[in-house]
Amino acid sequence: MKLPFERPLIKKINAGMPSKFGLKPTIKPIEKVDGIVVGDLLEKYGSPLFVISEQTIRETYREAKQAFETRYPKVQFAWSYKTNYMNAVCKIFHQEGSWAEVVSGMEYDKALHNGVKGSQIIFNGPSKSREDLVKAIENDSLIHIDHFDELFLILEIAQSSDKKPKVAIRVNMDTGIYPKWDRFGFNYENGEAWEALNRIMLSEKLELVGLHTHIGTYIMTAEAYRIAAAKLADLAYNVERKFKHNIRYIDLGGGFASKNTLKGAYHTGIDTTPTFEEYAEAISGALISSNLNPEKLPVLILETGRALIDDAGYILGTVIANKRLSDGRRSLIVDVGVNMLFTSFWYEHEIYPAKGETQFTEETTIYGPLCMNIDVLRAAIDFPVLKSGDNFVIKRVGAYNMTQWMQFIHNRPAIVLIDEKGESHLIREHETLETIMHHERLPEHLSNI
Amino acid sequence: MIAVKKKIQPILEGVFNTYSEVFFSDSKVFGVILILITFLDWQLGMAGLLSVIVANGTASRLGFDEYYIRKGYYGFNSLLAGLGLALYFEPGVVLVLIILIAALFSLFITISLKGFLGNYGLPYLSLPFIFTLWIIILASSDFVNLGLNERGIYDLNAIYSKGGVALMNFYQWIEDLSMPDSLRIYLRSLASIFFQQNIFSGILIAFGLLWFSRIAFSLSLIGFYAAYFFYGFIGADFETLNYTYIGFNYILASVAIGGYFLIPSKTTYLWIILIIPLLATLTISLAKIFAVWNLSIYALSFNVIVILFLYVLKLRGYTKRKPVEVVIQNNSPEKNFYAWKSEQERFGNRSYVAIKLPFYGTWTVSQGHNGEYTHKGDWRHAWDFVITNVKGLQYKNDGYVHEDYYCFDKAVTAPADGIVVQVINNVPDNPIGDVNVIDNWGNTVVIKHNDYLFSKLSHMKEGSIVVKEGQRVKFGTVIGRCGNSGRSPYPHLHFQLQSTPYIGSKTLEHPIASYIKEDEGRHELKLYDIPQKDDRLSNIKPEELLAKAFHFIPGEKLEWKDENNNVTDEWEVMTSVYNKSYIYCKKTGSIAWFENDGALFYFTHFDGNRKSLLYHFYRAAFMIQLSFKSSMEIKDKFPANKIFKPHELILQDFIAPFWLFRKADFKLNYSYVDNETFPSEIRIESKVVKTNLFKWKEDSSYKLFITSDGLHKMIIKTKTKQKTVICTKPL
Repeated sequence: MKLPFERPLIKKINAGMPSKFGLKPTIKPIEKVDGIVVGDLLEKYGSPLFVISEQTIRETYREAKQAFETRYPKVQFAWSYKTNYMNAVCKIFHQEGSWAEVVSGMEYDKALHNGVKGSQIIFNGPSKSREDLVKAIENDSLIHIDHFDELFLILEIAQSSDKKPKVAIRVNMDTGIYPKWDRFGFNYENGEAWEALNRIMLSEKLELVGLHTHIGTYIMTAEAYRIAAAKLADLAYNVERKFKHNIRYIDLGGGFASKNTLKGAYHTGIDTTPTFEEYAEAISGALISSNLNPEKLPVLILETGRALIDDAGYILGTVIANKRLSDGRRSLIVDVGVNMLFTSFWYEHEIYPAKGETQFTEETTIYGPLCMNIDVLRAAIDFPVLKSGDNFVIKRVGAYNMTQWMQFIHNRPAIVLIDEKGESHLIREHETLETIMHHERLPEHLSNI
Repeated sequence: MIAVKKKIQPILEGVFNTYSEVFFSDSKVFGVILILITFLDWQLGMAGLLSVIVANGTASRLGFDEYYIRKGYYGFNSLLAGLGLALYFEPGVVLVLIILIAALFSLFITISLKGFLGNYGLPYLSLPFIFTLWIIILASSDFVNLGLNERGIYDLNAIYSKGGVALMNFYQWIEDLSMPDSLRIYLRSLASIFFQQNIFSGILIAFGLLWFSRIAFSLSLIGFYAAYFFYGFIGADFETLNYTYIGFNYILASVAIGGYFLIPSKTTYLWIILIIPLLATLTISLAKIFAVWNLSIYALSFNVIVILFLYVLKLRGYTKRKPVEVVIQNNSPEKNFYAWKSEQERFGNRSYVAIKLPFYGTWTVSQGHNGEYTHKGDWRHAWDFVITNVKGLQYKNDGYVHEDYYCFDKAVTAPADGIVVQVINNVPDNPIGDVNVIDNWGNTVVIKHNDYLFSKLSHMKEGSIVVKEGQRVKFGTVIGRCGNSGRSPYPHLHFQLQSTPYIGSKTLEHPIASYIKEDEGRHELKLYDIPQKDDRLSNIKPEELLAKAFHFIPGEKLEWKDENNNVTDEWEVMTSVYNKSYIYCKKTGSIAWFENDGALFYFTHFDGNRKSLLYHFYRAAFMIQLSFKSSMEIKDKFPANKIFKPHELILQDFIAPFWLFRKADFKLNYSYVDNETFPSEIRIESKVVKTNLFKWKEDSSYKLFITSDGLHKMIIKTKTKQKTVICTKPL
């Protein structure tokens, strides 16, 4: 058989791992996603293409749930819509028993549309309009109050409503990590949170059901959650003592890291990211050993988004061209850009060829297709030499891309879901010119050129 | 008027029961029949009644427990003594005095024997009557003013005066009925228990006995004929039984052993056949001894043999072998049998201490009893638990390190309340695949639950144990973490029950009190069961809404209103001296006994009016597991006599100890919850299904509505009607 042609390349020998055989920088290709050949998917649905694995979603969810349920009596997950609000994705989580956690009127309506009961929607976020709040109160949703002005607005609405709004407050605090998030909710250390709780309890117009915190995102240490859980438990205990009122749930928000590697990190995400077990141990440990009555422990709510969906998402793309830069470095232009892969601003995404195992790699810069200097997927990656038209796969792109992507220069790609039987389903069509122009209006005087 | 009725009623009840108690019964109908029989001779009848009133009245004045007086336990020996004396002696003022003396004597002996034999859990039967009668008869030779009765019993006179010629002819016709001799002797023996010698009384008593209990009736025949054939076999003269008060020994012994003090079963029936020859021999020999003083032995041999046999059974200690002694006496072989049967079917393996699972969440049994690896020989009754993922694997990644195992470092909790008696906490965790056969149990905690029950949890993580020896732990207290120490190639939790406090003690077969078994999304409630290999299990996590609704506090009152807002029923929750709780219906006096251990609510017994709302509630909430599980169907079995009407069970009663063809099943589903995590409304649907031979039919169905205020509404649907009632709790 004739061997495939590989372009010659000159490479400096690195010290690498101090083993007798040296470092073997073999890159294994990702040839299939959930049993379907990458090339077949691209041929059928076009390139680039987002692919979501239903099986991975369900397995990850169950693993996370088990990690908590074997440690704490009552646990409830709420799917963080902003992480990925494709209806198909949301529905998988809802089927698994997850509630909805939304941060805007739009997301709220989407959750209702997906059939989530009002009482199982958590309404978070700093921006809720009067209409949003009225609707949420009508539907018995759980409103997490972010600031005093929102609290006053809810009190005002409650005056004229025959429903008693179910509220929680969002608490920000020092959990010993940097950056310290203090822009959301009421501060714990300066007593603002306690004041808000007093106002709610004394008003007697609101039903205080929970306490919520969201200590940050991509938290690399489980210990921060232990501190957060302990502080919330302390607040709950104080409310119980002062007002004889049992807080029904403690919501630790999200922020669990996924296994992606952050830019500038020394180790890879796979090595440094805490497991669900570690997060669960820290949180349940803190709640169980708190002052709270062990017979009446509040429900633990988790709004984990990223860690549950990142692994389930892939983006498949095609090489457009190879190019030598002025300083001699090699670069690759591909059809996946920052317009659709927003997370490449902060992750060193793992990129794999779709076929051909090789140990010959060269430091490469991978550019997206945009006519913009910022469109860099990887500034420097040891990557095998691919020809134009070759396919590649980027792993762990399930979180924040299908919601934060922008319609810029190119149309947004299609999204495919592979079900547990290995069948692919188109869940969002490739955008067309029609999609973009549908909402445009042209003044009369501009109709002719 | 009501006050008078309240006073009279227990006295009347006491009188009827005193008569029927002679046959171990508390049937009013039977009591009335027996009273009528004694009044065939009015002097006899009056003497009996007088004795009963004196005995019951004295016991009451002295302050003895009203319950026992009402049940007739104190009076029936005095009754028999009174009847016996009236038969022997000439009526008159002296006899009345003698009867008073006898009644008191008999009562005192009754109470003393109850105190003495009661210590051994044995009955005093009719010993007080026999002793009293002997005492009076032996003394009577000096009572010059007391003449012997020479008139005999002039039944016909009495019959004539009451019912005229027609009744007299009927009576005569019965007496002359042609029947086998043995049957005649059987009926006379029955009658002679009440000092009668006629077939007419015998037939009435036989009918009363049949009315009271089919099992007792058939036992009376079996006992009698066993004796009859034994006499024939050894060549003794059975005809003597025709005119002495002795034949009934066999009848009473048969009822007592076959179905009253023991749960009727094939075994007790067999024992009767074996014991009757003993009894016959004893009867003949005792008669010879007492003939010396011209005394009749009356029921002495029956008393001796029953007490002897019961004492022998008691000395067995704790055993599950048959025959089974009756613990709660319901005064009826049928009631005892159905209650025991239902208890067996519901909680057959019930243990004294409720041991539950020693962890949070759902775990899997990786090795059960008589396991293939290490649970063998003296250590066969143990479980190994691990956590598995969706695919059934115990670990993620390659499983080369402890942290890959789902169960590693998970909390291990106390399986029940107790005191920690042993702790080992310093055995290193093995690398995966290796075992430590020197410290083979690894890090271990032994907890003492009572003097003979200890639980042992082994192979825990080094240094993870947080309890100290001597520390008191409650069910669910975290005691340490699952690890891989000792003879453990991969992380798991070893759990066993034992009767000694040592590490390495042999295991004890002991059930887990309650748990939920998960099987492909279905949940099954298990009570007092032994988990099997590969079972996925968790403890019941009570749902507060349900736990609150079924937490009935003693003193709490519940009012039920119909659709028109009229109060129809008022209940009160009460607690007995034995710490058992029950709901009492004020309107009908019905009582439903229940248990609630925080994870389960269930009824154990119902007594009273079957038209009452409480009876429907008993049927609707017979067994409820207090967490919401939409995929769970709870199945339970009612005692047949609490669901079927008495007449539906007549045939069944006869053969109940051998075969049950009428069954009543309970089924329950959790049909609705508004919000699984924070429920504010839960609906439970239950139904009663009757099985008759091989056909089954739904008898009635119920819907219970539970809100944050507790039990809110019940919809009762029977074959003929549907009713909705609303529950409120007045302050």
